[in-house]
Amino acid sequence: MKYLFLDTSAFNVNIAVVVDDKIVSSFTVANNQKLSEHIFIYLEDVLNKSRTKINEIDKVFIAQGPGSFTGARVGVTIAKTMAWALNIPIIPVSTLEIYATTKVDSKYVVSFIKDRNDYLYAGIYDTELNIFMEDKYLHLSELLDVLKEIDDYIFVGYDDLDISEEIVIPTIDIMKIIKKHNDDQAVNVHLVKPNYLKKTNAEINLEKENKSD
Amino acid sequence: MKNTYILAIETSCDETSVSIVKNGHEEIATVVLSQIDIHAKFGGVVPETASRNHIENITIVLEEVLSRANMTMEKIDAIAVTYGPGLIGSLLIGVVAAKTLAFIYDKPLVPVHHIAGHIYASNLEKQMQFPLIALVVSGGHTELILMEEDYSFKYIGGTMDDAVGEAYDKVARVLGLSYPGGPHIDKLAHEGKDTYELPLPMDDSSFDFSFSGLKSAVINMVHNEKQRGNEINVANMATSFQNRVVEILTKKTMRALIKHDVNNLILAGGVAANRGLRERFKKLCREKEINLSIPHIKYCTDNAAMIGAAGYYAYKLGRRFGNVLKAKPTDQLN
Repeated sequence: MKYLFLDTSAFNVNIAVVVDDKIVSSFTVANNQKLSEHIFIYLEDVLNKSRTKINEIDKVFIAQGPGSFTGARVGVTIAKTMAWALNIPIIPVSTLEIYATTKVDSKYVVSFIKDRNDYLYAGIYDTELNIFMEDKYLHLSELLDVLKEIDDYIFVGYDDLDISEEIVIPTIDIMKIIKKHNDDQAVNVHLVKPNYLKKTNAEINLEKENKSD
Repeated sequence: MKNTYILAIETSCDETSVSIVKNGHEEIATVVLSQIDIHAKFGGVVPETASRNHIENITIVLEEVLSRANMTMEKIDAIAVTYGPGLIGSLLIGVVAAKTLAFIYDKPLVPVHHIAGHIYASNLEKQMQFPLIALVVSGGHTELILMEEDYSFKYIGGTMDDAVGEAYDKVARVLGLSYPGGPHIDKLAHEGKDTYELPLPMDDSSFDFSFSGLKSAVINMVHNEKQRGNEINVANMATSFQNRVVEILTKKTMRALIKHDVNNLILAGGVAANRGLRERFKKLCREKEINLSIPHIKYCTDNAAMIGAAGYYAYKLGRRFGNVLKAKPTDQLN
């Protein structure tokens, strides 16, 4: 079986071709403003190195965010167009869960991506990638409250946070994600979308207006 | 001659549309998923919301169009896509989907300028005759384009500020009409009288337009009347506003036809659906023996069939782009 793993949703672009449970070629680069221009160069390169044609892919794993809205949209649009065109299963996975594959000595991983004003996207996973706290958009103080319930955790993310604890930079384990989700039921390709975890400003403003009426 | 089938994608604003067009003039199937109801509650198009909806719609629309056309991707000769101008987050979805399909099926990727699409909408009904002048009027554009042959575009003039459709929407809001305001004003304009003294905007020898002054004049007048405790006659204001818009658009367009010695006129874009504008152009063109072409309303608003028509001629000219094509929110038509 040949799988494509694609993550363009956050700090890094990660692409891998997995054949019979082994990564045969992979590519990582910092995500940047030119993602939508360059992504097919990266993709073509990874496929060529693995001597795989795009239409030989049997399943696609796609990071659906949270993180960069545009980044997630580029990856999800490619993955769902591809899954639809090739009629293959698509498995969306959380970007924060991907961070949580980082090898650590703690029992829990607090995966996070910083947004503005001390707000962040965060999820808490154990080392088997079981969810302790679903991915959420929340204030740092709310996250710290949740963490009072557990001990033996470690923060994993690329950003600085105003906390005393150590923060580990993610070193992701793509095979761990694939093994965890390989038996997931494939979702309807038309329903796959980025997981923004955040309403648009227009929606937030409209809700405020409706409340004040 | 072998038939050429173009699969075209258009997502530049708030319509997710895919079409299959044969030989640049025959529409095989088109699907348009409009988000207008979603944006109406915000009083205008919200770019982030538009992008979020395109990504949810794109594969549904692709599947539906192939099914209606009873075709498979293998029969498609090239993939055309609107790369700009438009909302960057919206364009992105269409461009990335088009690049993915071109990559998977190893098909040529043909970038199409949105305005070229609006002009070529005309070709879906009647073979375009050259030289021609096109007046493209929509929520995002007000442009006069001269074409001497297929897929050659010369910019003659355009708006310096608001697009005409944008001015319509803003005036409608001030008059308390719901979004999108254009059709409401058009309807009222046929019921009211031209009683308000509004300026004819940018009435000069150039081929450029300006609608922000006219829009401000309406806003100020409404505001002043309110302060004096007077009711605005909405229908009369709609008539007065529309009359100025129609007059300046027709005046400069008819003059451009004379200056460039052109006999063919295309009225295109969403505002070409405006009854007042259509009627005035029809009358003037009859008088001046100008061959006027106004696409059916379904081809005036954003749709992928027009991109497929334009894409065919771009494809025939050998216009291609590799998989590094990017969406451009602003770009000159050439």
